[in-house]
Amino acid sequence: MVNENLVKDVVKEPYKYGFVTDIETEKIAKGLNEDIIRLISQKKEEPKYLLDFRLKAFKKWQKMDEPDWAGLGYKQIDYQDIIYYSAPKQKEKISSLDEVDPKLLETFDKLGIPLTEQKKLTNVAVDAVFDSVSIATTFREELAEHGVIFCSISEAVKNHSELIEKYLGTVVPASDNYFAALNSAVFSDGSFVYIPKGVTCPMDLSSYFRINSGDSGQFERTLIIAEESSSVSYLEGCTAPMFDTNTLHAAVVELIALDDASIKYSTVQNWYAGDEEGVGGIFNFVTKRGKCLGKRSKISWSQVETGSSITWKYPSCLLLGEESVGEFYSVALTNNLQQADTGTKMIHIGPKTKSTIVSKGISAGNSINSYRGLVKMGTKAAGSRNYSQCDSMLIGDQASANTFPYINSQQPNSEIEHEASTCRISEDQLFYLQSRGIEFEEAVSMMVSGFCRDVFNQLPMEFAAEADKLLALKLEGSVG
Amino acid sequence: MEIIEKIKTNKLFDNQTEIQKICLHKLQSSPLPNPKSELWRLSNKSKFSKFLNYSVNQKNPKFDIPYPESSQNTIRFIIGENCQTKLIKENYSIQQLSEDELNKYIKEQIACFDQNENWSDLLNLSLSSTKNFLALKINGSKIPPIEIFSHGSSNSLNAKTLVIFLEKNCDIELLQVNLGKENSSLSQSTFFLLEENSSINHGVVSYGENRSNLLNSLNVIQQQNSEYNLGSLHFKFNYARFEISIKQSSGNAKTNIKGMQITKKDEQISTYTKINFNGPNGFLDQINKSLADDESHAIFEGSIIVPKIAQKTDASQLSRNLLLSNHAQIDTKPQLEIIADDVKCKHGATISQLNEEELFYMRTRGITLLEASKLQLSSYFQEIISFIPVSKDRWDLLEKLLNEN
Repeated sequence: MVNENLVKDVVKEPYKYGFVTDIETEKIAKGLNEDIIRLISQKKEEPKYLLDFRLKAFKKWQKMDEPDWAGLGYKQIDYQDIIYYSAPKQKEKISSLDEVDPKLLETFDKLGIPLTEQKKLTNVAVDAVFDSVSIATTFREELAEHGVIFCSISEAVKNHSELIEKYLGTVVPASDNYFAALNSAVFSDGSFVYIPKGVTCPMDLSSYFRINSGDSGQFERTLIIAEESSSVSYLEGCTAPMFDTNTLHAAVVELIALDDASIKYSTVQNWYAGDEEGVGGIFNFVTKRGKCLGKRSKISWSQVETGSSITWKYPSCLLLGEESVGEFYSVALTNNLQQADTGTKMIHIGPKTKSTIVSKGISAGNSINSYRGLVKMGTKAAGSRNYSQCDSMLIGDQASANTFPYINSQQPNSEIEHEASTCRISEDQLFYLQSRGIEFEEAVSMMVSGFCRDVFNQLPMEFAAEADKLLALKLEGSVG
Repeated sequence: MEIIEKIKTNKLFDNQTEIQKICLHKLQSSPLPNPKSELWRLSNKSKFSKFLNYSVNQKNPKFDIPYPESSQNTIRFIIGENCQTKLIKENYSIQQLSEDELNKYIKEQIACFDQNENWSDLLNLSLSSTKNFLALKINGSKIPPIEIFSHGSSNSLNAKTLVIFLEKNCDIELLQVNLGKENSSLSQSTFFLLEENSSINHGVVSYGENRSNLLNSLNVIQQQNSEYNLGSLHFKFNYARFEISIKQSSGNAKTNIKGMQITKKDEQISTYTKINFNGPNGFLDQINKSLADDESHAIFEGSIIVPKIAQKTDASQLSRNLLLSNHAQIDTKPQLEIIADDVKCKHGATISQLNEEELFYMRTRGITLLEASKLQLSSYFQEIISFIPVSKDRWDLLEKLLNEN
């Protein structure tokens, strides 16, 4: 038998991104009403159509009920007790990184995010978002040479208004769900990517979200448009300081892929998960959806979810274009009192569309880890295929793993395959590794990494290494 | 509220039993199931309201057994016709449950009922009169196969209830046949209690005539070392729900389920299963097949619940579906809810049409497309049918199905 105590005592690694940056910020008053929305819009000098978009969303939100079908147990959120706009004070216009507050640079430096010149060698362009605003975007000139637009969404509203007006809210409508409506009403910043026709983005694009303030929520919005025959790989990372209150993060991500375009969206989510008693942590209620509009277009989601006290997130693909492809690769790890309800929706609308779902859930401690997914074949999706695989691993006898796949088919000429399994770390394998002189901890970590291999293989190089390490750290002290 | 009024105003209910009163009282707090709940959200609302539309009837018309009497020694019951029984033989005894035993057991069951999950049972128990209640206690060995028939009458809503206590070390084969008459609704609830070391091969064959409806609910409690094998087949109902709830009360039990539903025209047939492991070393092997043609809708939702106490559970669930028409629809949702860590649980689901490669192969061998499709269908059906305890010379179910399709 595995020595449970031994395993539970293995290093309890503190959350190393839990520091707070002491920086002067500009916050607006707590609460949510039309005036607050007007104020946010005014601060961001937005055009009228956007203010109307926000107000319409707010009206819809007021009429909606908070969803409870996921059965996530959390204290009711007081939406009037949240600051909807918080930004570090800085000079009006920044022409180079040198003008960014050194404290902010230091923050991102600590987080290992390459904003400063010497770190740019990594060849990843970064958009760093601190609380409600985007601080800096690197490699802009190089990207501009290829016609790629990569900037904060606020800048895009000013400089590429026609694209925003055309695409914003077309994938995730304001009335889509409770949290999407809230986001549409109060979104503060986020990233905007536009890849022109025929361009393969020369480098990976990345945005890094940091919540610094304990009483403000983060509501970012990301919009990625890939024109015909273009391709882009986008990475997203997130951290937050340790507070004993819960902070709300309700983001919306919209992806649009036209003919032959391909978008790969990778996330390593490591928001603060609360302490061992479940105090504090981020409520991560995110709506992510991609629309494969064009023929042969492809959207691939890969995610490693390790943080947040509660995650409610279903990155989805609407497969409209003929022969379009949707993919979802996910590793969700929960420990202590974390709850994760995550999965995907693959909606096959066009003919000959394909989708693949690979989901790996690992639950340890007293956590609850659920896969909830929908695969739907519409009446016109002839010749379409779906393959889903959901595996869960349970570590310890207090953790819970659930699988809820919803499958609906209205098209006889399509195939759907779904399989799921639940197991625990095999003692035989563990014994074998140990008998070869591999330390217990390392053996567990190797086996978890092997369990997640199908997903890690889909992550970009830098992320895969980070994800592997992250998982090992998170699991320490919980294997039993 | 209509249904409750209907029950209350029915003259036949002047002398209600205690159980009827309790269930009616429970129904009053939620007269209809919540249409948003997982178990009812896919249910066709207009078909369901048609189910409830017929007037409540307790009379039973003459019943014709759908197949010839076998030469083999079998024991037959027709619910509503011969519910009074006492069979005491050398090796075995089949007796009616005493009123106290029955009331005690049903009350215990009702206490654990959930308004949505057990709505069909609540309706059944509040409608079912003593006359339509077959409650048996079976013990002994070498018991001949038992056949139990349940049927409705045209233009009415009938409720039939079956309760079976299988005593220790007892082993039986039981075939239950539910027949829906033209333009009728049948509510059938079945309760099984399997005591230690008992085992049952249970077959459920339900089929209807034109525009018939069925609410069929099955509740099984398995004690240690018991074995429950279920083979079920539902077809030709305009609207049918088969709700299975199995509880392995203290683990160490075995459950095998093989079920199939076939829908055509604009029919809707759904199967809901809930398997609860309440002790260690439980075993489940389940397969559910659906076939949907024309404009029909087949639904399967299965949940496996493994709490912390149920270590070393080994459960698998497979949902296989054939979608044969552009206008038909299949929904399937196999789900796992697991807290115990030392378990082996898996599920799978597939939806497809007939295998084209196999069809092609058979056609190259000179078999016509029609015959080739029939061959494929018969192999698809055979796996389930062979699990239903009824011998081929008595009733050729496969032949019946293939002729229907």
